[in-house]
Amino acid sequence: MVNLIKNEWMKIFKRPGTFVMIGILIVSITLVGIIIKAQHNDKDFVQDSNWQQVLQEENNALKQQLAQSRTTMEKQFFKKEIAINDYRIKHDLPSREKYTVWSFVKDSSQLIMLAGLFIIIISAGIVASEFNWGTIKLLLIRPINRTRILLSKYLTVLLYALFLLAILFVFSTTLGAILFGTPEKAIPYLNYYNGQVTEQNIVVHLLIDYGLSSIAMIMLVTMAFMISSVFRNSSLAIGLSLFLLFTGAQFTALLAMKFNWAKYLLFANTDLKQYFEGTPMVEGMTLPFSITMLLIYFAIFQFLAFYVFKKRDVAA
Amino acid sequence: METIVELKDVTKVIKGRTIIDNISFQVNKGEVFGFLGPNGAGKTTTIRMIVGLMGITSGDITIGGSSIKSEFEEAVGHIGAIVENPEMYKFLSGYQNLVHYARMSKGITKEKIRETVELVGLTDRINDKVKTYSLGMRQRLGLAQCLLHEPDVLILDEPTNGLDPAGIREIRDYVRKLAREKNMAVIVSSHLLSEMEMMCDRIGIIQNGRLIDVQHMKEFVNGSEVMYELEVTPSEKALSILRVNYPNASATLSSNGVAVELPKKEIPNIVKVFVQEDIKVFGIKEVAKTLEDRFLEVTSEKGAANRG
Repeated sequence: MVNLIKNEWMKIFKRPGTFVMIGILIVSITLVGIIIKAQHNDKDFVQDSNWQQVLQEENNALKQQLAQSRTTMEKQFFKKEIAINDYRIKHDLPSREKYTVWSFVKDSSQLIMLAGLFIIIISAGIVASEFNWGTIKLLLIRPINRTRILLSKYLTVLLYALFLLAILFVFSTTLGAILFGTPEKAIPYLNYYNGQVTEQNIVVHLLIDYGLSSIAMIMLVTMAFMISSVFRNSSLAIGLSLFLLFTGAQFTALLAMKFNWAKYLLFANTDLKQYFEGTPMVEGMTLPFSITMLLIYFAIFQFLAFYVFKKRDVAA
Repeated sequence: METIVELKDVTKVIKGRTIIDNISFQVNKGEVFGFLGPNGAGKTTTIRMIVGLMGITSGDITIGGSSIKSEFEEAVGHIGAIVENPEMYKFLSGYQNLVHYARMSKGITKEKIRETVELVGLTDRINDKVKTYSLGMRQRLGLAQCLLHEPDVLILDEPTNGLDPAGIREIRDYVRKLAREKNMAVIVSSHLLSEMEMMCDRIGIIQNGRLIDVQHMKEFVNGSEVMYELEVTPSEKALSILRVNYPNASATLSSNGVAVELPKKEIPNIVKVFVQEDIKVFGIKEVAKTLEDRFLEVTSEKGAANRG
């Protein structure tokens, strides 16, 4: 299996397109860094001396709103804000923080979308290209069964995803440290879950944030892989997956306002952060529900990909 | 002789159409088996079933005793194959292509790769990208790819498609050599008859998905009586003499004299008769029937029989 993955890795990295992708990713991070640097003027940053009072006033306003609001979703949001503000006052954690390397890493995590785009392109091509090149014939007459060949391809895609995310994380950390400096004392991230506020190490929080943000991408990558394997057509796989990557979430949110069944859609469940930091898209959705839905979608995609690939007569 | 590949009542049905109809044959070690048939007869489909690229609707294929259906990895390990054109990764170098395939079989050393490269005569260009290769070089790289793991069976589907005469000859010599020296079984498919004639020990003729004949090449070509061409004048008189003396032999006028199908031992007698009758004999030539003649004969005979 290691040899098979090595093969796939070689086939990805011997093509110039791969380096263009990595280049674009690095240039994008740099651009984001420069723009943010130009906008922030850190030298003027002074901590408001009576920030506790400001937060207290804010909380009072929030409490009024909470009393007036009707939907549970709104109520939850206000409760969360109040709880976090209370925690800040109690533990002397100012809300306005200096823009540091970690703020930059958090901001540049938006670029996971871009990385996702590239990973989808690789995923969509990894099976379909073998058919286009005609090399599938020589690939499938080795003493290795088709399931293992397809599995090695999928694992390679995951590895490539990990590789791009690592580039994104490491490079934005390095660039952030150079441009914005590291904070003297690590400021913890405040986590609100089930009515409790907890402190979390900022790096751990960012890694979890990356992981959660990648779920939608991994699901789409898996879908692209499935389309690529079933239809042997990389254009279809790329097109459909990218379309969903960019519009899926909004589209589902739109449906979720009207229909309760929207909670069964893939994109209603890909954003697990909604349970930690926000409120669920559709009322009554829970973390276990979303994880179950994700696993079901994942299983369906994989089953289709492997079943069709295994049964296929290689003709062309 | 030891059987290495065996097809047993192999049938392939695609979308209700029977592409391959109940084919059975065996291929032995050390022989070159030709698979002959017009385009669309089912040569490629059969080969794809042997290497496991296509499923088998009913029947079974065993290679070295292992079924391609139930023991795929075991069975396909005996096989090296080029199915149609040898499609390689064009963005990789020849060497990287070979490393790629070497990783997929067990126990292929760097030394073995180097040896194989030398064997097919690509040493000078092996580190160049495949996209810079000529078709002949790609064909040789394809051959290297299927010889890496020292297979017992070599399967070449239309190996000379698109090659120039020198390339065709090279492949042909090579295939014969492998069968002889390494005791490999070679299965070659083609619709080019002359080529098969020079390459194969045995041939199977396939038409409309049916295997209509399997014969040794020599027997196949010389299956009937030998044709002799007699260069004589006057040819009309010679023809009538032949018809009188050998009413059963078919004699016809040819461009320089007459042509007749006779057993060899009758030739001196004929010459004697001709000399007595004052017919000038300039030459006698044995005209071996080409594979093409036989092929057309067999396919039309059996085709007619099957239809009738």
